[in-house]
Amino acid sequence: MNSALPLYSLHERIWHWLQAAGMMSLILTGMAIHYPDRFGIFGSMANAVRWHSWIGFALIFNAFLGIFYHVTADKYHHFLPRMDDFTGAAVRQARFYFYGIFKGEKHPFDADPRRKLNPLQKITYLLLLNVLLPFQIVTGVLMWGADRWPGLFSRIGGLWVLGPAHTLGSYLFLAFLTGHIYLSTTGPTPSSLLRAMITGYHVDAE
Amino acid sequence: MTRVIQPSQSGRTNGFRPLLYTMVGIVLCAASVGQSSTAGPNAPNVPAKSLKLAHPQIVLKDEAGENVLKSGKPISTRQTCGGDCHDYEFIANSFHFQQGKNEMDRALLTSHAAPPFNTSPGMFGKFSIIPNRQLTRADIKDPADADMSQPEWLTKCGGCHTGGGISEYDLHGRRFLSPEAKPSGPLDPSYSIRDRETGQIIPWDWQRSGVAEADCFLCHVPKASRGERKKEMSAGDFRWANNATLVDTGIVVRQPSGAFTYNHSAFNSDGTVKAEAIDLSDPTLENCAQCHGFTARNTTTIQPIQHADIMRGTEKAGWIYNGAKISDTISPNMVGKEKMDFPWDVHAAAGLICIDCHFSLNNPGRMIQEDPKKNLRYKPTEEDLAVYLRRPNHNFARGNIPPETVNLTQHDTMRACGDCHDAEKGHAFLPYKSAHLRSLACQTCHIPAVHFWAYRSDDWGFVMDTGGSRITYRGIEGSIVDPESEVRGYLPAYIPTVDKNNNQQIRPTNLITGVYWFDKSKGRPVFTWQVQNAFYAGKAAEGEFPYRPEILKAFADKDGIIDLPQAVYDTPEKIALVKGLLQTYSGVADPELHIEVVPWAMTHGVVGKKQAIRDCAACHGKNSMLARPVDLNSSLPTGVPVVYRGKKLSVVNFTSKEPTFDNRVLISSFYIVGYSRAGWVEWIGWLCVAGAVLFSLLHGAFRLFGGHS
Repeated sequence: MNSALPLYSLHERIWHWLQAAGMMSLILTGMAIHYPDRFGIFGSMANAVRWHSWIGFALIFNAFLGIFYHVTADKYHHFLPRMDDFTGAAVRQARFYFYGIFKGEKHPFDADPRRKLNPLQKITYLLLLNVLLPFQIVTGVLMWGADRWPGLFSRIGGLWVLGPAHTLGSYLFLAFLTGHIYLSTTGPTPSSLLRAMITGYHVDAE
Repeated sequence: MTRVIQPSQSGRTNGFRPLLYTMVGIVLCAASVGQSSTAGPNAPNVPAKSLKLAHPQIVLKDEAGENVLKSGKPISTRQTCGGDCHDYEFIANSFHFQQGKNEMDRALLTSHAAPPFNTSPGMFGKFSIIPNRQLTRADIKDPADADMSQPEWLTKCGGCHTGGGISEYDLHGRRFLSPEAKPSGPLDPSYSIRDRETGQIIPWDWQRSGVAEADCFLCHVPKASRGERKKEMSAGDFRWANNATLVDTGIVVRQPSGAFTYNHSAFNSDGTVKAEAIDLSDPTLENCAQCHGFTARNTTTIQPIQHADIMRGTEKAGWIYNGAKISDTISPNMVGKEKMDFPWDVHAAAGLICIDCHFSLNNPGRMIQEDPKKNLRYKPTEEDLAVYLRRPNHNFARGNIPPETVNLTQHDTMRACGDCHDAEKGHAFLPYKSAHLRSLACQTCHIPAVHFWAYRSDDWGFVMDTGGSRITYRGIEGSIVDPESEVRGYLPAYIPTVDKNNNQQIRPTNLITGVYWFDKSKGRPVFTWQVQNAFYAGKAAEGEFPYRPEILKAFADKDGIIDLPQAVYDTPEKIALVKGLLQTYSGVADPELHIEVVPWAMTHGVVGKKQAIRDCAACHGKNSMLARPVDLNSSLPTGVPVVYRGKKLSVVNFTSKEPTFDNRVLISSFYIVGYSRAGWVEWIGWLCVAGAVLFSLLHGAFRLFGGHS
C-alpha cells in the first residue's frame, strides 16, 4: 500500500527547479567559456559570457528569494543539521547508501514534512548553500566586475586568482549535480523522488 | 627654407618677429586666396587635403649665403632654410637628423636598460643584428676596437639619414671643417675609416667630402630623389648630397662628369626658384616612403626594393601602407588575393598620410593640446603658429614599439588609436571591453595577418662567400626580387610590450632571428670584419671571398660548395672550429655564438572591422593564436644562448621539428580565459567529477544487479 505525503510546497518546487535550471545553464555556459573552441553551443564565447552573467544574477536573485521564503515560512530549519546529524545519523545514512540499499533495507530516515532532508543531505546543503554557492557568487561577481572595479579586481589577484577559484567551484558543483541526480533515483522507486519534487507528494512504498 | 629677402632688407637683423609676422601673413593670404578660389557656388568639393599652403618663394643659397645660380656651389640648407626663417640648429637637433648622437649619455642609456655596448639608442651607436655593425667608440686606443667610423656610417646610412647632426658634427660636438675640428688621434672615428682593401685605419678627408647639411628637401620636396642622394653619400661626396636630392625636380642637373649644375629655367628672373619646380610642402606619403616601408595612396604595383634597398618597414615587418585593395594587386604575385577584397591598410584607403599621426609636436594644427597629468584638456598657453614656423619640432610624434629606442625620452607622443577611435563604443560585441583594450594593442585584432614578406633571419654567425650574412625571409616562396615568386604572407607572433599607461599589452610582431658572435672578453658583439677574417683567406679579384681551407673542410658539400643548406652549425664541433678561427685570425679572445630573437612590432597594414579578428576562440581557445609557435631560422644551432630584448630567455623551442618561437614565458602574466589553465584545479576538478560519475555508475550497477534497483 502506498501513502502520499505532501512534502514540497509549490514555492519550494519552483525554487528548486529554477535553481536546477540555473545551475545547469551556468555549467553549460561555463563550459563554453572554459572550452570556447570545443564547446561552442552558444554561437560564440561572447554570447556564452553574456548568458553566464545574466543567468548568474538570476540565480543569485533566486537564492535570495529562497532565503526569504525559508526564513519567513519558518522552513530554514530543514537545512540546519543537529549534532547527531554529523555523527551517528550521518553514519547510519552512509551505511544505508553503501550497504543497506543493496540489501533492500528500509531508508533509515523516513521523509517527513517536518524533516525533509536526511543527515547527509543536511551536511551537503549546509556546505553547498553556505560555502560553495557564496564562494561562486563572490568570485563570479568579482570577475563580472573586472571592468567595473578594476582596482578591487587587481587587489584580489585578478583572473589568476579568481579564474581558477571559480573554475574549481564549478567542478565541485558539477560533481554535486552528478551525485545529486543519481541519488534522486534511490527512493522507493527510481523516479519517486523526482516525482515528489514535481508533484510535491512523496509516495512511500510499504 | 626662406622667403625672398630684398637686398635692402637683408641687412636688418633687429629681431625676427616682424619678419615672422610678414611670413605668416603671406602664408595666410595665400591660404585665403586658395580658399576663395574654390569657395564659389560652382566650386568643386575639393577635399581638404588637396589644399596646400603656398610656401614663400625662396633663394637657394650656398654656404656663404650667395645665390647658387651665381656661385654654382652646393646648396646650403643652413643658409637657405635656416638663416632668418627657420631655426636650423633647433630642427637638426631631432632624431631624424641625430639618430641618437644627441643621446650619447651612459646614464640615460643605463636607465633605459640599453646594453653596455650601445653608445646611443638610435641607429648611430646602437648594435642591430641587421646589419651587425657597430659605431666605433670615440675613445678607442686599439685598431682592433674599430668597426664603423662616422664617415663610413654616413656612406652606408646617409642616404636616408637626412644630414645635419651626424653629418655635420664630430663625436666631440665640433663642426667638421671648423678650425677647432681636429682628430684626437689616428683612430678618432670621426676622422678615419677602415680601408676596405687593406683593413687599415686611414684618415678621412673632410675637405674633399664636405659635410652634408640637413636635407630639408628629402622630406619637403615631393619630387625629392633618395636614390640620387644615396649615390653621393655612398661616394663620400657629402657636400653635394642635398643637390642630388633635387635632380628629379629639374632644378639641379647631374652632368655626365658627375658634377652638378643649376638649370636656369627652373628659376625666376629675380633669382628665386620657381614654386612649381621645388613645390615645397608638408612631407607627402611618397617622401616618407623613400626611407620607410612601402607607402602609396593607391597603387597596384608594390615595389618595396628601391635603389637596391629594401624599404625599412617592409624589410623588418612586411608593412605595406597602401590604399588599394590587395585583390587588385598586379605585382608581385599575391597568392589568394582573390579573397582579399580589402585595402592593404584601411587608414591609407581613408586618405590618411604619415604626418596625420606622426606630426610635429608643436604644429598648432595637429599637436595634442592636452596634458592629462595636469587634468588639462586644452592648454591655451601652447606655442602659436609663429613659433611653430620658426622652430617646428622635428622630434615627430611616435609610439613606443620594439625595437625602436631612438629619442628615448619622448616616446608615446603620437595620438594612439584610442585618441581618434572610440573603441568603447565601437566594440559592442566584445565583453569586458576595458580589460580587452587594456591588455591587447588594437593591432592584435586589426592586423590579423601580414600579406607580404619580411625578414625571417639574418645570420651573421656564418658569412657567405659574398661577404654578407645568411638571410632568410618569411611570407614568400622564391626570391624577393623575382616578381613570379609567390607571396603568401605570414601570421604574426605576439609579445607583451608596455603602453603609455604602463600596462602590459600584447601586440603582433614579426620575429627576426639573428645569429652572431659575441666577444665575451670585450663585452660586445664581434665585428663583421673580424668574422670575415676568420672565414676568408683574402678577397678574390671578382669580389668573392674565398673560404679558409678549415671552413671548406668542415662545411662544404662533396663538390666543395657552401650554400645556404651547408652554412649551418649542426654540430658543436663546427661551432668550436669557427670559435678557434676567430681567436686565431681575428684576435677575439673569448667568442661565443649568440641567437637573438628580435620582435619588430606591426603598426601598419591595419584592417577594418570586417577583416579584424572577432572570433573569441582565436585567442581563448586551446590553440590560442596569442601563443602561436612561429617558425624561426630552421638552421639555428642548439645549445646556444638565446637573447630576447637584452635578456637571456627561453623563447625558442628547440624540441619541435624546427626551432619555433615559444612565447609562453613572455605572456605568462596574462590569464587568458579559456586558454590559461591552473593545472592543479583541472586535476582536482575533473577527479571530483569523475569520482561522482564513477560512484553513480558503480552504485547504480550494484543496485541493478543486486536486485534492489
